[in-house]
Amino acid sequence: MSHASVSSTARFGSLYWAIQAKRNIGVRGLFVVVLAFMVAYGFLFHGLFTGSGFAKFTQSWFPLALVAMAQAILMLTGGISLAIGALVSLGAVLAATTMTGPLGVAGGAALVSLVGLGIGAVTGVIVVKLRLPAIVVTLAGSFIIAGAALLVLPRPGGAIPPWLSDLLAGNTPAAFGVLVVVVLLWKLYLATPLGLSLYAAGENPVGAYRSGVPVDAARIAAYAISGLLCTGAGLFVAAQTGSGDPIIGNSFTLNSIAAAVLGGIGFLGGQGTMRGALAGSLLLSLMISVMFFLGFTPVAQYVAQGLIIIGAVAIPQFRMRAR
Amino acid sequence: MVSSAPILAARGVSKAFFGNPVLRSVSISLEPGRIHALLGENGAGKSTLINLLSGALRPDSGTIEIDGRAVSRHSPPEARRAGIAVVQQELSLTNSLSIAENIGLGAYPRRFGLVDYAALAARAKAACDLVGLHEPLATPVGELSLGRRQMVEIAKALYRKPRVLILDEPTSSLSATETRILTALLEKLRGEGIAILYISHRLDEVMQLCQHVTVLKDGTCTADRPLEGVTAAGLVRLMVGRDPGDLFPRWDSTRTERIAVSVGKFSAGLMQDVDLEVRAGEVVGIGGLVGQGQEDLLLGLYGAIPARAASAVINDASGLPSNVPQANSRGLAYVPADRKREGLHLIHPIVTNLMLPSFARMPALKLRSRAKERETAMGLALQFAIKGDLGRAAQALSGGNQQKVALAKWMPLDPSVLLLNDPTRGVDVETKREIYAMLRAFAASGKAVVLLSSDTPELVHLCDRVAVVRDGRIVSLLERGDLSEEAIVAAAMGAERERQAA
Repeated sequence: MSHASVSSTARFGSLYWAIQAKRNIGVRGLFVVVLAFMVAYGFLFHGLFTGSGFAKFTQSWFPLALVAMAQAILMLTGGISLAIGALVSLGAVLAATTMTGPLGVAGGAALVSLVGLGIGAVTGVIVVKLRLPAIVVTLAGSFIIAGAALLVLPRPGGAIPPWLSDLLAGNTPAAFGVLVVVVLLWKLYLATPLGLSLYAAGENPVGAYRSGVPVDAARIAAYAISGLLCTGAGLFVAAQTGSGDPIIGNSFTLNSIAAAVLGGIGFLGGQGTMRGALAGSLLLSLMISVMFFLGFTPVAQYVAQGLIIIGAVAIPQFRMRAR
Repeated sequence: MVSSAPILAARGVSKAFFGNPVLRSVSISLEPGRIHALLGENGAGKSTLINLLSGALRPDSGTIEIDGRAVSRHSPPEARRAGIAVVQQELSLTNSLSIAENIGLGAYPRRFGLVDYAALAARAKAACDLVGLHEPLATPVGELSLGRRQMVEIAKALYRKPRVLILDEPTSSLSATETRILTALLEKLRGEGIAILYISHRLDEVMQLCQHVTVLKDGTCTADRPLEGVTAAGLVRLMVGRDPGDLFPRWDSTRTERIAVSVGKFSAGLMQDVDLEVRAGEVVGIGGLVGQGQEDLLLGLYGAIPARAASAVINDASGLPSNVPQANSRGLAYVPADRKREGLHLIHPIVTNLMLPSFARMPALKLRSRAKERETAMGLALQFAIKGDLGRAAQALSGGNQQKVALAKWMPLDPSVLLLNDPTRGVDVETKREIYAMLRAFAASGKAVVLLSSDTPELVHLCDRVAVVRDGRIVSLLERGDLSEEAIVAAAMGAERERQAA
C-alpha cells in the first residue's frame, strides 16, 4: 500500500487517494466474500463470464444496486426509508405510461427523475424540518406513493419503447455502464462540501452544526437523491419487463435494507461506505441467484434472506463485544 | 494599569433556566495576548458562560461585545465569523472521517465546487504540526485514542485561525506529553496576540499558564484579577463558601459499630482498587469533580455494572451482589441522579411508580390488590410529604416531588443501605431541606447512607465522613472534624494537602 508513505511526504494532492484507500479497510472482508460467491456462481452458471451472461447478471443486479445506494445514503444520515419499493413502482408505472406517449422517452425519463427528486425532497423536509421519525414518515409515505402508482396504472400495462428495453436490458452490458456512471457521480457528490458533510451530519449532528455544517440541507439533499435513485430503478425495471406494474417494486424495500446492512452500513448514522453498500447489494443479488439455481422455493428464499439480515446485523455487534 | 482593548467581552450577563438563575450579572473580558483562567465548582455556571460567549445561548440580560461593539444577535456562525473558536468538552468530531476532513469540517477550501483536498491537506497539516499530531492526515479519527482526538479537536479550532480561543477542560484526557505540547502552544499563541480563555480543574496548570483569573461561584463572579500574588489555596477559598443558613438539620452522631458495607480493593468502571467501609447509622459522602468514577462506585456496589473486590461484606453476608434484584434482597437500594430517565416512569401514575420495587418482590403471577397498593402509596406520600393526586402521571410533579417519589418507592422494602446519587440536583430549596432531614433520620434509624453529591456544602453539613474521589481512586477520606468545603475542593482538584504533610 502506498498511502502510508504518500501522506507523510509533501504530495498533498494525494490526500484524497490516501483517504479512499483507508476507507477500503473496513470492507476488505466483504469483498473477499463477494468474490467467493462470484466464483461459486460461476461454477453453477457457466455463462457468467460470457458477454451476454455478464449482461444478464448485471441487469438483475442493477436495480438492487440503485435501491441499496438509495437506502445507504439515508442510513448514513441516520435515517431510513420504508418507501423505497413504492417509489420503484411509481417510477416504473410513470415510465410505462409516458414514454410511448407525447412526452417521449426523454420527457418520460425527465418526469420520472423529477418525481423522484420531488417526493424525496418533500419527505426530507418533513423528516428534517418537522423533526418527525423517518421510519414513520416513510412508512406512511409508502402507502401514499403506492396509492399514487395504482392511480396512474391500476393494473399491469403500459409500454416501454422496445428499442429502450433492448438497449438497457438486451445483450449489451449497458446497465453496468450506467451503474459505473452513477457511482462516479456519487464520488463527485461526496467530493463536494455538502456531500462530505453527510457523514458528520449522520454521526455527530450537534458537533457538525457547531462546526458550521449545514446539517439540515445535507440531510434533505440525501432524501432527494435517494428518491431519484428509486424512481430511476423503477424506470429500469419497466424497461426490463417492457411494461409497468404498480406493485413490482414491493420487494425492494426489504432488499435495500438487507443490501445496505450486508454492506456494513450501520443504523445509527455515519457508519459504513457506499462501496460497502454496493458490495452488499451484489452479494445479495448473488445469493438470490444461487438460491434460485439450487432450487429454493420463493418462500425458502424469503426465510433465508431474513436470516441473512439478522446475521449481518449481529456479526459486527459480536465483533465489537469480542474486542 | 495598562490593558489592551478586549476582543470579546460579556458585560453584566445573566441567564436563567426554567426560573433557576445560573448566571447573575457576570462580566468577563478576553484581551489579546492573555491567557485567562475561568474557575469554579461543578455547576458554578462556567459552561453557561462559555455558551453565551460562543453564541450557543443568548443572555437574558446584559450584552456580549466583540471588539468593543455590542452584538445584538450573537449566534455560532456570527461567533465563527468574528474569529471565536471553542474547544468543547464533548468532541465535535466524526469518527468515520479522516483527520484532515474533520479539521476542515464546515470550512473546507473549495475548487470548482469540490473540496480542494490539496489545499485542505496543506492547511490541516499546518494545524496538526502546531499541536504535534503526526499521524497521517488520512487516518480515520475513530482509530485514534481519546487524547489524540482531543488534539484533533484543538487543531480543528486552530485551522480556523481564531482571534479568541476558548478551551473547556482541554487537558482532562491528555497525557503528560500532550499537555506539555499544549502548554507550549498556548504560550506561543498568546505571543501572537490571541485571546485565550482556559477552563481547567487542575490548579497547578492554571497557576503556571494563566495571567488573569475569573472565579465563578453559584453564578456570580467572586474574583476577576491578575493571577500574580494569588495562591492555590486562595483560589480554592474564592470558589467555595456559602452561608448554609438553616438548610441543614442539626448533626448528631448516630454511628453504630455494626458494619453495613465493607469492600477492599473494589473495582468497577472507572473505580480502581478502592477500600471503603460504611457503618450502620452514618452518612458517608462521596465527593469530587463530576465524572471521576463516583457513580461507578455506587453502581458497582448495587450490582448494576460488573464489579470485583478482593473482599466484600454487605450486611453480614460476603460477596458483592451480581445483579440488582440480588442487591435489593440484601438490603441495598439505589436512587439515581437522572430521576427523569432512570428513577421514574414519568408517564405512569405516581402510585405505580411508588409500588414498582414492591412489585418485584411479589410472586410473579399473584393478583394485585389495588386497595392495598393505594393504602401503601398513601402512607408513603404522607410520610414523604409528596404533594399531588397519586393517580396522576409522575411527570406532573415538580422536580422536588419527583425526587421524593424516587426515594420513597424503596421504603416498603425497608433497605438497610441507601445509595443516593446526587439526590438534590435540580431540586428546590424547600425540598432540599426536607430531603436533608430525611437522610439524617434514616441514619438515626440505623440505616447506612452513602451520599454521592456534587454539592460540597451538602457533604460538609450532612456527612459523618467524606471520601473524595479523583481519577477513579479515593484520594482523601475526611473525618467529621476535618470536613470543610476548602478541604473537599482542594482534595478534588489536587491542590494538595501534600504540602500540609510535608
